[in-house]
Parts: sequence; C-alpha cells; structure tokens
Amino acid sequence: MERINHHPILKNFKKRKSVAFFFNNDEFVGYEGEAVSSALIANGIKEFAIHQKNDIPKGIFCANGQCSHCTVIIDGFPQKSCVTSLEEGMHIQTLHHLPELPEDDHPLEHYEKNELNCEILIIGGGPSGLTAAIELAKLNFSIILVDDKEELGGKLLLQTHKFFGSIKDCYAGTRGIDIGHTLEEEVKSFTNIRILTSSSVVGVYKDQKVGVFIKNKKYALIKFDGIVVSAGAREKSLIFPGNGLLGVYGAGAFQTLVNRDLVKSSDRIFIVGSGNVGLIAAYHALQAGITPVGICDILDRASGYQVHADKIKRMGVPIHLNHTVLSADGNGKVERVTIAEVDDNYQPILETAKTFEVDTLLIAVGLSPVDEFYDTANNYGFKVIKAGDAMEIAEASSAMFGGRIAGLQMANLLGKDIKIDPEYYEKAEVLKSRPGKVWDLDEVKLNQKFQPIIRCYEEIPCNPCTSVCPVNAIELKSVHKNIMDIPEYSNNCTGCGLCVAICPGLAITLAKQIDDKFAEVVIPFEYNPDFEKGDKIPLTDRDGIFLEDGEVVKVKMLKKYKTHLITVKTTLKNGAKAAGIIIQKESDSKALPKPDYDYVPEDGIVCRCEMITVKEILDYIKEHNVRDINQLKQIRVGMGACGGKTCYDLLPRIFKMAGVEWKDVTKGSIRPLSVEVPMFAIINESEEDIR
Amino acid sequence: MKTYDVVIVGAGSIGVPLAFYLGEKGIKTAVIEKEPSIGRGQNRAAIGGIRATHSDSSKIHICQRSIDIVRRMEDEFGYDVDWLQGGYLFPVYDEQKEKTLRNLLEIQQHFHLNIDWISPDKIAELAPGITMKKLRGGTYSPEDGSASPLKLIDAFYVLAKKEGVDFYFNEEVVDFEKEGSRISKVITKKNVFHSDLIVNSTGGDAMEFSALLGIDVPVYPDSHEGGITEPVQRFFEPMIVDLRPAKGSTNYYFYQNCEGQVIFCITPNPRIPGKNCDNTSEFLPMVIKRMVDLYPRLRNLRIRRTWSGLYPMTPDGFPIVCFPKEYDNLLLTIGMCGQGFMLGPGLGEILSEIIVDKTNKYDTILEELSLYRNFTGEEKLK
Ligand SMILES: Cc1cc2nc3c(=O)[nH]c(=O)nc-3n(C[C@H](O)[C@H](O)[C@H](O)COP(=O)(O)OP(=O)(O)OC[C@H]3O[C@@H](n4cnc5c(N)ncnc54)[C@H](O)[C@@H]3O)c2cc1C
Ligand SMILES: Cc1cc2nc3c(=O)[nH]c(=O)nc-3n(C[C@H](O)[C@H](O)[C@H](O)COP(=O)(O)OP(=O)(O)OC[C@H]3O[C@@H](n4cnc5c(N)ncnc54)[C@H](O)[C@@H]3O)c2cc1C
Ligand code: SF4
Ligand code: SF4
Ligand code: FES
Repeated sequence: MERINHHPILKNFKKRKSVAFFFNNDEFVGYEGEAVSSALIANGIKEFAIHQKNDIPKGIFCANGQCSHCTVIIDGFPQKSCVTSLEEGMHIQTLHHLPELPEDDHPLEHYEKNELNCEILIIGGGPSGLTAAIELAKLNFSIILVDDKEELGGKLLLQTHKFFGSIKDCYAGTRGIDIGHTLEEEVKSFTNIRILTSSSVVGVYKDQKVGVFIKNKKYALIKFDGIVVSAGAREKSLIFPGNGLLGVYGAGAFQTLVNRDLVKSSDRIFIVGSGNVGLIAAYHALQAGITPVGICDILDRASGYQVHADKIKRMGVPIHLNHTVLSADGNGKVERVTIAEVDDNYQPILETAKTFEVDTLLIAVGLSPVDEFYDTANNYGFKVIKAGDAMEIAEASSAMFGGRIAGLQMANLLGKDIKIDPEYYEKAEVLKSRPGKVWDLDEVKLNQKFQPIIRCYEEIPCNPCTSVCPVNAIELKSVHKNIMDIPEYSNNCTGCGLCVAICPGLAITLAKQIDDKFAEVVIPFEYNPDFEKGDKIPLTDRDGIFLEDGEVVKVKMLKKYKTHLITVKTTLKNGAKAAGIIIQKESDSKALPKPDYDYVPEDGIVCRCEMITVKEILDYIKEHNVRDINQLKQIRVGMGACGGKTCYDLLPRIFKMAGVEWKDVTKGSIRPLSVEVPMFAIINESEEDIR
Repeated sequence: MKTYDVVIVGAGSIGVPLAFYLGEKGIKTAVIEKEPSIGRGQNRAAIGGIRATHSDSSKIHICQRSIDIVRRMEDEFGYDVDWLQGGYLFPVYDEQKEKTLRNLLEIQQHFHLNIDWISPDKIAELAPGITMKKLRGGTYSPEDGSASPLKLIDAFYVLAKKEGVDFYFNEEVVDFEKEGSRISKVITKKNVFHSDLIVNSTGGDAMEFSALLGIDVPVYPDSHEGGITEPVQRFFEPMIVDLRPAKGSTNYYFYQNCEGQVIFCITPNPRIPGKNCDNTSEFLPMVIKRMVDLYPRLRNLRIRRTWSGLYPMTPDGFPIVCFPKEYDNLLLTIGMCGQGFMLGPGLGEILSEIIVDKTNKYDTILEELSLYRNFTGEEKLK
C-alpha cells in the first residue's frame, strides 16, 4: 500500500484500524473510516469510473465532495468516494457509464420532517466560520455551525506549514493543522454552538430556511435569523489538452490526500501555478516523499509570497516562470506533462517545449469564492454576512480575523449594539494585502557572535520574528507602521534561534564567524533529516543556487515549532549566504531529452461533469450566436452534478476565443441543490438518530 | 421603423415554433423577446411532457399535431430533441379515481385516442417496482411522450432563423400606437415595429401586456417547482401522473428523460399565485414523500437540482387562442397553463395555416379557445 509512514510534521498518526474491502471483487486493505477514494488510491487504484462520453476514465478531482468525479458503486449504490467512509467488507466497483438503480422496492414506512432553529446559522467551519462562531457565542446567540467535513477547521487541516500574519491576531508561526485544532476546541467549549459536521448546506430557500444534508443520511430545514457564509473557496480549473486525464487535479485535492489522509498519491508531480497554494503543494510533496518535478507560471514572477517561492527553490524545486502548460499526455492517465515559454501575448512558443515524466499534474491557478449562498440569501432580503475566502480570497490569517469582524457585524445586524473597534478593519485590510514593495538587502558582515540574517525583502503581512525575540532584536521598519513592513535586525542577538524556527518563510538563518576561514550557520529544516553530525550536506544561497557542501555540526529540534535547527560549518565567504539545504536532486527535475506531446488546444475539457471540450462549446457559440450562458445548457454545459461550479470560471476565456465579449454575455444562475441528495435523505426515511 | 408581416412578442414555447412555421410559409416575421435568449420565460421550466390524451377536442387536436411534429423532428430536420415515446401512465389506487378516469376514457376513446385501461401487472411491467398494494390498474396512452424543452425550442429557433425570421432579444415591448382598430406601431426601448399582425405570446406576462392594449385577459400565473435527479440506466418508460390529492398538493408527475434523469414537478394546493420564481423549502419534502410512496425504488436516486416557474393559468384551465374584436391585427395565444410546451409546435403549425392560408378548418378551435367563452367549465385532466 502507498501510505505515508514517515512525515516530519504529521507525527501522531492516529491508531487506525485496518479493514478488508473489495474492489471489482479483488480484496484490499484500508483504514476504517478513511475516505473510500483514499483507500483506493493507497492501493494504487486511480480509475474510479468510465464516463459514458467516449469511455473517458474518471478519478478523483476535487476530493472535496463537490464535483462527483470520484463516484464508484459501493454495495450496489453510486456514491462519491471522497466523502464516503470506508467500512469493513465494502464491495466497491468501477462505475461504468450510468449506474443501475438498485431494485430496492420495500414500501415507504417511515418519513419525517426535521426542523431545527437557531438565531445564527454559520455555513462553513474553516478559520473564518470558527472565529465568527466564537465571537457570536460569547454574545450568547444560539448558533448552528454546519460544515461538510468530518472535522472542523476547513483548509487549515490540510496545512502542515507555519502561517504568516501576527501572533496576536491570528496565530502566526503556528502550523495550520494546529491552529485548526485550537479553534475547534474553543468552539466546542460553547454550549450555545450546535455543530453539524459531515453536513452540507444544499440550498437557501425563500421561506427563510436552509436545507442541510446530514451525514449522508438525513435532511433538515434550519430556521434562522441571520446567516454567516464562510464556505471558503473552490479551486479554479484550467483548460489545456489532456486536462481530463486521470491524475490532473487540484492542489487542494492533493493536500487532502497527502496531509489529511496520509496517502502517497503520486511519485512525481508537476504543479501549474506559483501562487501560495501551488508553492506550498511542492513543500507538502517533499514532506510526503513525493517528487515535485517543477512548478510553472505564465507570469514573469512567482505570484505567491517571495519568501515562499525562495524556500521552495532552495529545496531544489525549479520554478519555471513565463511558462505555461501545453498538454498532459498519457494512456488514459497522466504520464507526461509538457510546458513551454510564452511570448509577450502569453502565447506558447512551441519550440521551447519541455516534457517531464510525471504521474500527476496539480492545478493551482487560483481560487474563487463560494458565495452563492450569500447571493441567494441577500436576494431574499435575509440578514447575511460573508467572511473569509467566501468574501475575498486571501490567506488564512486574514480569514481568521475577518471571521471575528463578521461575527460582530452579524451581532449588529441582529440588533446587539456593539462597537467594532475601527482598528479591526484596518488590521483586516492589512492582513489581506497582496505583497508590496521589494527591498534591496544590504550584505551582512559576520562577527564572532550569532546574528540573524533575514532574507525577507518583500512586504507581506507578517511579523512573528519580531514578536518571538526575547531581546527585541528584530523590529519592523517604520514605513507603513503595520505588519506589512519588512523586519530588520538591530543588535544584541543571543542566538536563541526562535526567530529561525518560527519564520513561516524559513527566511532567517543565524550565522557567525568561527575563525578566519570558517563560519557557522543555523538553518531551519522542516523535513526528517537523513544526515547526522559530521555529514556533508549541500547548501544553497537565498535563490536556490548551490554554494558548497557544509559539514553538519549539530541537529536540534525545536519541539514547539516542530522545526529542526541544523548547524553547519561553511567557508567564511558563504557564511552569510548559506540560506537553505537542498532536498531534491537536480536530476529529479530534468526534462526528457526531446519534447513529446500532442498539442490540440481545442481538445481541452471545459465541463468535466459532461466532458465537454473547448471545441464543442466554441462551435456552439458561433453557430447559435450565443450571448446567454443559459443557452449552453442545450449542450449540457452546467447541467452536471456540480451545476457549473467548475466550468463557469472558464467560460469568459471561451467566449473571448469565439470573439464575444464577456460583458455582453448574460450569466447563468446557480440553483439548489449545491450537492446531490438522495430522496431517502430528503424525507428522512432512516429512523437512526445520527446527531 | 422596422416593417414585418408578422411580429410575435415572446420567444417562448408558443412564439418560437409559430415563428418557424410562418417563416417557412414565406412570411416576413420578427420575434421580440425581453430576455437575452429563447425560452427564458417558462419554456425553461417545463419538464417536457407531451400528450394528446386531453379531454377536449381542441387540445387533443393541437397536441396530436405536436406529437407528430416532434416525432419527426430528427428525421425531417436533423434535430435530436430527445423525443421519447414512453406513454403516459395514470396509476389508480382508489375506487373514486378509477371511476373518474374510466369516464374520461370514454370521451378520449370517442376522439380515437390510443388510450386504455391496463391491469396492475401491465403497470408493473411499465414501471417495475411501483407500489402494487391497492393498485387497481390505470390508464395508459402509449403514443404520448416527452422531449427536451431546451432542445426543442432551440431546434425551432435555428430552423426559424434559417427561414429568415429575425429575432430581437433584450427588447421588451413597452408600448403601442393605435390608429382606430389597428395597432400601427409596436414600440420597444430600441425599435419601432410596424406589422400586419401582432401576436401576443407573452406567457406569464400576458395580462400586463394585454392591458397595454386595453384588453382584459384572464391569465393568472401561479408558481410551480420542478426538480431533476442524477442520471441512471433506464428503469421505467412512461410519464407517471399521480392524481391523488394529498396535504399541500394535488397531482404530481415525473418521467425518466433521454439522459436517464428523473424529472418531476407537483401542483401545490392551495395554488401559489403570482410571478415569484424562488425555491421554497416545502417543495422537495412534499413531492419526494409522494414519489417514494408511489415508487419506492426512487428512494436511492439523488436529486441534482430544483427550480421554479409559472403556469400561466386561465379560470377554466384551457388556453386562449383568439383574434380579439377590439383590433383588426392582433392575435392572442396565451394562458397555456401547464401545457404550453406540448401545445407549442402543433399550435404554431395550425396558426400559420390560419394566418397565411386563411383556412377555416380550425374554426372550432378558435371558438372553443375564444377569449369570449364564459370560462366556467373545468378541465377534467389538468
Ligand atoms: C487548496 C488550498 C490551499 C490553501 N493553502 C493556504 C495556505 O497554505 N496558507 C494560507 O494562509 N491559506 C491557504 N489557503 C487559503 C485558505 O482558503 C484560507 O487561508 C482559509 O482557509 C480560508 O478560510 P475560510 O474559513 O474562508 O474557508 P475554508 O478554510 O475553506 O473553510 C470553509 C469550510 O466550509 C465548508 N463548506 C463549504 N461549503 C459548504 C456547505 N455547502 N455546507 C457545509 N460546509 C461547507 C468547507 O468544506 C470548509 O470546511 C488555501 C486554500 C486552498 C483552497
Ligand atoms: C415546473 C413546470 C413544469 C412544466 N411542465 C410542462 C410539461 O411537462 N409540459 C408542458 O407542456 N408544459 C409544462 N409546463 C408549462 C409550460 O412551461 C408553459 O405553459 C409554457 O412554457 C408557456 O409558454 P408561453 O410561450 O406561453 O410562455 P413562455 O415560454 O414563458 O414565453 C413567453 C415569453 O414572452 C416574453 N415576454 C413577456 N412579455 C414581454 C414583452 N413585453 N416584451 C417582450 N417579450 C416579452 C417572456 O420573456 C417569455 O420569454 C411546465 C411549467 C412549469 C413551471
Ligand atoms: S536568535 Fe533569538 S535573540 Fe537572536 S534575533 Fe532571533 S529570536 Fe532574537
Ligand atoms: S522574516 Fe519575519 S516577517 Fe519575514 S516571513 Fe519570516 S517571520 Fe515573517
Ligand atoms: S473528487 Fe469526490 S466529489 Fe470531487
């Protein structure tokens, strides 16, 4: 089985019970309660279904319960494998074209209507929903918090890295998973918050109720006075030939497999998109023992934080800027990915094509807010506030802070007279800032005492290095007078290493001169060291360029930050330069000697539910003079299980290709249900009490 | 000023097929539609049932034509509109409904409709797994069926364009000018149209629209919700209509379309008058309970989406097709109730014959569906 058994951060592997299950009649072993999709992938099974259109194989895509791609037949019933828990003895089968409805003909014996009441309904238990819940609970509101995952925490649960921001306002320097658990515990301590996990809000209705699909079995209507929509974001899709192959999926799905379910889903991955999500996926891959062959981005600079990008480069992962993905190729599944440089109009230059052998291609080209519930509730005139990514895509730090504000705003809407500190709004603005100015750093001269060398030269909302220093030796510049300013060392460093360990960008080292030839450098390291004292390890400068092999002097673990501090001896000239330890060999990132791909841009798939290609949509738009998204329903665009959630973001580009301006196109509406719900659940046929 | 032989207001279930048949007969036709594309009024909401088995000669006649047209759509014009001749099945579980339907059957057979009483066993063959307890049998009309409202209107649209019909989208007719008993100008915010005949096929907006012309029409929209499931392999053939009233609703009906999806809707009781097309929380629990009770096997189907639309109702449940006395050049074809989709193709062809060929073959239809009838009758099978 392909499992992750050693992980530098995820140490406390829960004791999980092994159970046997069957796939297409062969016996396999998985863990009880894990997602069926994860059990299958851990057993090397990636093909879950065969689509009726051209027999295209389908596998996991969102790992988030949204797209239905992962549907398999479980004990006779079609089920989304990524949100179904594995049980002993399950019989799982490939779904071939349309499923057969089981002949389950016993008469209807029991049905009931489930109605719940609350003052405030919170949709989504990620950082923003949790912090909103906490603020509102303190004000004694009765709250129902609904989240579709088994555990609260939202995307935090997928993050093994330390977060940016400030310690005071949003747990900066702490790892996402740990923040998630802290917030979850706090929420659970309030008796006025009723928590419904594994439960999806599926519709907001005009009679001021929402419908909730609970634990795959039941359905309830919830009456409320106000709603907080903190449902997070969905990952944008991308069109290129081969994007429908098995093994093309979102970075979020990858993080779910690797960090939540500890499945070694791939051997070699390529990542499209150098935003924070794409960058961090490479870091997660390395921690999981997976090779991130490279990252490409069509822009001329990494779009995530510079410190993030730099640390990924130092680990040995190349970032190909000005490059786009040309195609993914392979026999039913990804075997190769080809990228090429783009010209000034962002068109690929085919002569520059490079092909890499990989088994997975991660799409990390941005997020779009899950805000349809907000729009509907707003249309109906309900009291509604959105928070976190549902309001505006930003980092988790901003979501946490924004959630608090949203909670207070909701309290105001419901008539509680509370003053919201104006400083809150300022802080919230700062936390969601895009990176600002890039500074030039002065070269540091070493002396006999350790001093921090800070390679944090782009303005981002972050400051834990300043908060953690016991002697206040690091301070922010005083330009913006907020946490966007970049940090600077003054003097008096005691060499405690806390700043090195806490920095989420791994941007700080300590260095000192030990004699006239050598220096000692303390470098942060978030992997399981495969070296010990006396070994030589490859060191790089800030930008990932190899400097020299340094000798390991000491390996120390700072438990609080789950970060190793590696002390190495270097030549004096590289003491101030040495910034990181190479993890991935250069040969792992090599392109094939000759490009090997099929480039038919119009073959890219737009609607994944119905497997509709660019060409089909283009032809239809031209032939029918389409100016209304609704017309595309005729060729089933947006008619699949996801209701257009994946393809709508892609349509502007297609219309542009057809010569139609997006502003002239009437948009479609998103209708309930947001995920499919079986009829037995709607009428609560099961008498089982699942609360 | 734009000049046409015929101007149709409303690119819906009725307007678009009519435009095609007029175009085909060489009539210079324009269709004016306030929405950005075809069928965005109520056609989009229809679930797609088409039957000829009504209880009056006009609708029977019109829908027989519709079935004939839709059935030939693919062979004759090359458009697959998902026509499925699965029949209509009305299963019966109590004595009283049996009596009603058997009485109706006599009328329907009198009109030579292919419909008969069938046994519970035969019903179980058509819809395996349907509740057999107390099932007395039911009526079944194998020639009725269904088609995709999206695809059918699109086919007529493309065909109409090929015949030279002009469509004006995003244009609402807001005013008229009259000269005596003639409508001399049809006015939108962007254009002024002049035409020998103006057709009002404005569906749910018929009352407001007619009021612009000083005509009072009894068309009162009420709101209905519909839903669709995931697709599965075919497991039953007919449109199933359950006429038993229950708390909160009268009848409901559903079928499995060409994609394999089950598509359903219900008639709420009391009716929900007005034009609101928002989704209510009542709909799903109400209709699903009834569907699973009737057909337990449906319980494992997953519901994918719901929506809401309008039935442009008349007091007696019959449409209004009429050249009103007040004007020399106006045709009303409104008040299609819950059957505009199935009436559209047949009515379009018939009206084109009336308008262009000046035939009097259809005078009984015009009489029966006149605006000046007394509207006190009641549709026996809505
Ligand atoms: C793949 C990915 C990686 C990211 N990586 C980072 C990172 O490394 N660092 C960082 O700072 N930020 C990261 N982000 C940004 C991240 O979205 C925010 O940082 C933060 O998690 C947003 O918080 P939130 O509360 O708005 O939403 P989320 O954390 O996304 O939480 C929303 C919750 O609502 C649930 N939900 C959605 N719809 C429904 C429904 N209908 N019914 C019930 N529950 C529902 C979701 O499943 C989820 O549990 C990442 C985002 C993604 C998508
Ligand atoms: C849930 C549901 C299920 C249904 N199922 C069926 C079924 O199975 N079979 C069936 O036969 N019928 C069914 N119907 C009924 C059917 O949808 C309607 O009867 C039919 O669509 C009405 O057709 P129409 O052409 O009169 O109106 P519409 O199709 O609504 O067309 C009228 C058009 O006129 C336009 N318009 C209005 N005023 C103006 C103006 N001033 N200027 C310009 N344009 C204007 C509107 O925008 C609209 O596009 C169903 C309805 C619902 C709600
Ligand atoms: S090593 Fe310790 S004392 Fe020195 S700057 Fe960092 S935190 Fe401050
Ligand atoms: S150096 Fe300081 S401000 Fe910069 S990323 Fe690290 S902790 Fe944040
Ligand atoms: S992969 Fe399971 S629903 Fe998307």
